[in-house]
Amino acid sequence: MEFAIDVENLTRVFEGKTRALDGVNLRIESGKIFALIGPNGAGKTTLMRILTTQIEPTSGEAHVLGLDVVKHGAEIRKLIGYIPQEMSVWTDISGYENLLIYAKIYDMASRERRRVINDALKDMGLIEFKDNLVRTYSGGMIRRLEIACAMLIKPQILFLDEPTIGLDPSARNAVWEKLVSFKSEYSSTVFFNTHYMDEADLYSDEIAIINRGKIVTMGTAEALKHCVGGEIIRLSMEGNSVSEDFLEKVRKLNVANEVVVNDLEVDIGVGDAETALPQVMEVLRTGHVSVKKISLTKPSLDDVFVKYAGTRLESIGTIREVKEVRDRIRR
Amino acid sequence: MIDFMRNMLAMIELELRRLRHDRTELYTRAVQPILWIAIYGPIMSGVKAIPTGGIPYTDYITPGVLIQSTTFVSIFFGLIMVWERESGILKKLFVTPASKYSTVIGRSMSSGVRAIFQVLIIVPVALLIGVRFIPDIAYFISALLIIFFASGGFASISILVASFMKTRERFMGIGQAIIFPLFFASNALYPVKMMPPILQYFALFNPMSYVVDAVRGLMISGDLTDLPIDLLAIALFDAIMFVAASVSFKRIIE
Repeated sequence: MEFAIDVENLTRVFEGKTRALDGVNLRIESGKIFALIGPNGAGKTTLMRILTTQIEPTSGEAHVLGLDVVKHGAEIRKLIGYIPQEMSVWTDISGYENLLIYAKIYDMASRERRRVINDALKDMGLIEFKDNLVRTYSGGMIRRLEIACAMLIKPQILFLDEPTIGLDPSARNAVWEKLVSFKSEYSSTVFFNTHYMDEADLYSDEIAIINRGKIVTMGTAEALKHCVGGEIIRLSMEGNSVSEDFLEKVRKLNVANEVVVNDLEVDIGVGDAETALPQVMEVLRTGHVSVKKISLTKPSLDDVFVKYAGTRLESIGTIREVKEVRDRIRR
Repeated sequence: MIDFMRNMLAMIELELRRLRHDRTELYTRAVQPILWIAIYGPIMSGVKAIPTGGIPYTDYITPGVLIQSTTFVSIFFGLIMVWERESGILKKLFVTPASKYSTVIGRSMSSGVRAIFQVLIIVPVALLIGVRFIPDIAYFISALLIIFFASGGFASISILVASFMKTRERFMGIGQAIIFPLFFASNALYPVKMMPPILQYFALFNPMSYVVDAVRGLMISGDLTDLPIDLLAIALFDAIMFVAASVSFKRIIE
């Protein structure tokens, strides 16, 4: 089967010493929303810059839509859209004019231009502001204008580098709503980098975690979370002690993989908390055991990250380290 | 080649649209050259120490002052382009089908758009002060075209120099550091013959001398004997600078 993106053993070394990518292998089916998550400086942006033909790999191979990124850069650029992390529109002209310049660069037929640009602006909810200078737009509107710009050529793959960085929650939601509708309308593949776990969890079909230049794991959000272990039902008991008889009954339940007692708290490890809970409730009811509180804990992508990267996302590297790596990459 | 032209035209159109929204910079940048023509020129012409070949001194320096002003525009334009690499604009442009070279050269050439508008603001003021231009529209348009193409070369110089700078703070002084040596070691304010020999030698390789000579011939003196040499020098200058800027720019975006 043809993969939208097929990367084999890719490395990229900056200035002979900084290994930004260290043997990346990655295959992404077309039509999927794919999220690459990882801490700052993990190599997310470097990988995206290679896939969008901005820089060349040091070794290894990368194919986008079946085309080699080194040999067929020009063909790839006709088929992909790209929105960099930093603002990428001209602020001293209007939103419409920004799209017009790009429509000309992409050699769109002059009779179609107006219609295609207006459609894109309408889809992104910017049509009322099309003649305003971009300088007057909010952060979320600028991101949506950039998406409109990428939509002009109906790209087969849309690359987004940290699409919602620096946006407030409502602007983030609006951007994602538009991206999802964009993807379903053109059945494009979407490849995005992020360090927001919740975003990857909510919107992606598949996730890969990158750390120190290597892909450490990959799969759907559900599968990844499943890997770190099941869900937990936590019972906070009434009274002074937990009855042994009750614990015995709970241990006998098929759904209970593990029971851990910690003072008055009983943690029951289960596969799926929602379906296991009624059985636990039944035991509670028949044994006349009363509980103060029941809580369900599900593993999050953060837990997945801790397992594969060995540390929490936020705590990796000091800001100085990250800055040094970025400076070296940028020169 | 068609792709190349199309991308260049798109970059030029971008510049025209920017100017349509905001022309403040054109007006503020016109102040300095107008002071040269309105104050320095008339005062120095009283001295009558500079052989101008029978042309009033203010008229003599007008092309030089125009070129100095448009070169300023181009040099800063090139610096702005390097600043843009810190935003995402250039990254996105480089992920379009347009070639990297056409983007760099197109942006350099679009500095010529600003330069022409700069000239169109200064010339009427010069007329009011009493500078006599050759009343031939074909000559005038030719002069504008020469300024347009030369501007692209000067913008490329600044792209080249700025690509070696690591921080944008260091860019600020560079504009002056490029322009004033070019300006004073050219025939903008006095004939090259008046200079010390070593400067005369420098002036031989100074592109600004050739641009000033061509524009002075077309706008003021009507002496076009050196025009072919001037055009050749400008074309050579543009070609070399475009290649150098493109290569160095490709290096820094990586």
